[in-house]
Amino acid sequence: MACMLDLKNLHATVGDDDAPKPILKGLSLNVPAGEVHAIMGPNGAGKSTLSYVLTGRDGYDVTDGAATLDGDDLLDMDPEARAAKGLFLSFQYPVEIPGVPVMTFVRTAMNSQRKARGEDEISAPDFIKMSREIAGKLDLTPEMLKRPVNVGFSGGEKKRLEIYQMMMLAPRFLILDETDSGLDIDALKTVADGVNAMRDAKRGMLVITHYQRLLDHIKPDKVHVLADGKIIKTGGPELAHRLENEGYDGVLAEAV
Amino acid sequence: MATALRDLIKDPTAAELELVARYAMLPEDGRRERAFSAFAATGLPGRRMEQWKWTDFKTALNVLESPKGAPAADVLPSEATLTFRFTPKGLEYPKTLPKGLLMMARAEASAFAASEDLPLGAMTAALSGHKKSPGTLMFDVTEPIAERVHIVFEGAGEANFGRCEFLLRPGASIHVTESYLGGAGLTSALMEYDLQAGAELNRTMYQIGGTDEAVNVTSVVSLAFEAAYTQSMLAFGAQISRLETRLTHQEPKAKATINAAYLAGAGRHVDVTTHVRHGAPSCVTKQVTKGAVRAGGKGIFQGKFMVPRTAGQYTDADMQHHALLLEEGAEVFAKPELEIYADDVECAHGNTCGDLDDNALFYMRQRGLPEAEARNLLTQAFLAEALDAAPEDAREALLEQLQAWLAA
Repeated sequence: MACMLDLKNLHATVGDDDAPKPILKGLSLNVPAGEVHAIMGPNGAGKSTLSYVLTGRDGYDVTDGAATLDGDDLLDMDPEARAAKGLFLSFQYPVEIPGVPVMTFVRTAMNSQRKARGEDEISAPDFIKMSREIAGKLDLTPEMLKRPVNVGFSGGEKKRLEIYQMMMLAPRFLILDETDSGLDIDALKTVADGVNAMRDAKRGMLVITHYQRLLDHIKPDKVHVLADGKIIKTGGPELAHRLENEGYDGVLAEAV
Repeated sequence: MATALRDLIKDPTAAELELVARYAMLPEDGRRERAFSAFAATGLPGRRMEQWKWTDFKTALNVLESPKGAPAADVLPSEATLTFRFTPKGLEYPKTLPKGLLMMARAEASAFAASEDLPLGAMTAALSGHKKSPGTLMFDVTEPIAERVHIVFEGAGEANFGRCEFLLRPGASIHVTESYLGGAGLTSALMEYDLQAGAELNRTMYQIGGTDEAVNVTSVVSLAFEAAYTQSMLAFGAQISRLETRLTHQEPKAKATINAAYLAGAGRHVDVTTHVRHGAPSCVTKQVTKGAVRAGGKGIFQGKFMVPRTAGQYTDADMQHHALLLEEGAEVFAKPELEIYADDVECAHGNTCGDLDDNALFYMRQRGLPEAEARNLLTQAFLAEALDAAPEDAREALLEQLQAWLAA
């Protein structure tokens, strides 16, 4: 299978120019189209940094290595160009955007991406129809979609709204950053169902999580253990179970 | 006489001498004289006066000259409104008025009690009535009026002065829109609103002026028992501009909403100043001022809530001022003041000045919005809150101006 997301020897630092702090220290990874890979790791391993580096957030500087999506150099692109290329990050802490209603926001985002790809804008009726279908699956009411993005939403609602945006924008590669945090069992299932519905042969996913729990619902093809800025172990779904039972310490000790 | 007048203002500037000369041409009138004396005591206000330290008319308005540009186009809806226009040719006004609305154009000035506190208001009270303009344009509103009154200040060469006095009788209500379109070296308006028991006013203001113009709008508002006053403003400023509202809750249970959005581009100065006195118990004031300033622009916010010891009990007041510095070289000065002597009140305030939220910007770009568009959408949403209370068609019209400014 063709390699979709390809990370080679990625080094990245965080912080101001005077005292940059190295976080990623030679991370290599590839995710072929059609596969779901999980990244697990202890606090401070660099999991969130990886998601921000891949999506191009300011303040995260890549000092060495390469990151490509379908062979295109991601590191060269603005965040919005990466989004138009099909890269989507479901945020660990979705951001409130006061005064901008969900529908307006998602439609503007969708049309910005289409424009960047040289496609026609979506018509208002088509957009509304699509939105209604997807919102229904995620138990989001029309009233919620009129509210400003994430303002006044509970933790679970915010995560469902991330999945709504993901399904609306239909990205080609998904990064889920601790999507399970702050979710109860029912919300976790709704979110996982949404993500599973998006699995197909052309789409890749990277699921970043602390816990095995999410991976019971979103079954990964591979599990990578990230520690101190590097992938130190790669295995099948059974690796996640081992981590859950033995904790990170055992696996880390073994890898050294 | 001329020599005596000349001495009214100490060390007058050329502009002040011209103002004295204008005053000398007007018919004698005791109230006019008192207003002019109050103005002359300070002359054009400037940086030596605490309330004017950031808005120095004396320096900025050195001479009275016609500006280079024509007045801006009016954007507030004027169709099906009762339009009163202060122009170089005098006052234009509708031929007929609906039942419940009376208008009287008086040659004389009315008394202006706040002369000592409002030097530019006093100046306007003294100098309105030039040529074919009335000294005071009085409106008497006796019942709910469906039609909207639209007041326009446009053009007039060196200077354009106008004064309107609205009296809203008990239970009366009206919408008033005001456009200050520039086109004069100095545009100065004095707007007085007296709301009697249970009266309601919804007032929307639009101000835009050239980089060689001075603009002043002084508003004096008085609220009686259960009166409700709503003010929404979009101001683009001028070389120097001051939009000042002085509101008094005279009787219990009055409600005031005083909102403003200001946008200052290069070479423009916008000053939004408000003074609210809770002179009666159980009154409510909600104030939201939002600003956005570009390089070379200057925004000023001065807000004061005065809550006296006994009279001000059970006050419920909130003052919010938040400004965005859109570019390096933008300036905002803010002075929020709460002076509270009563002990059973709720008074909140918030004042911030800064850049857009980086987290929000990144989130929007991650979803595919180009940075410039993300910035505009965030800025627009930030500012729009200050226009929420305006009537829908006026709000839409003002939002369009706001969007155009951000996109430029």
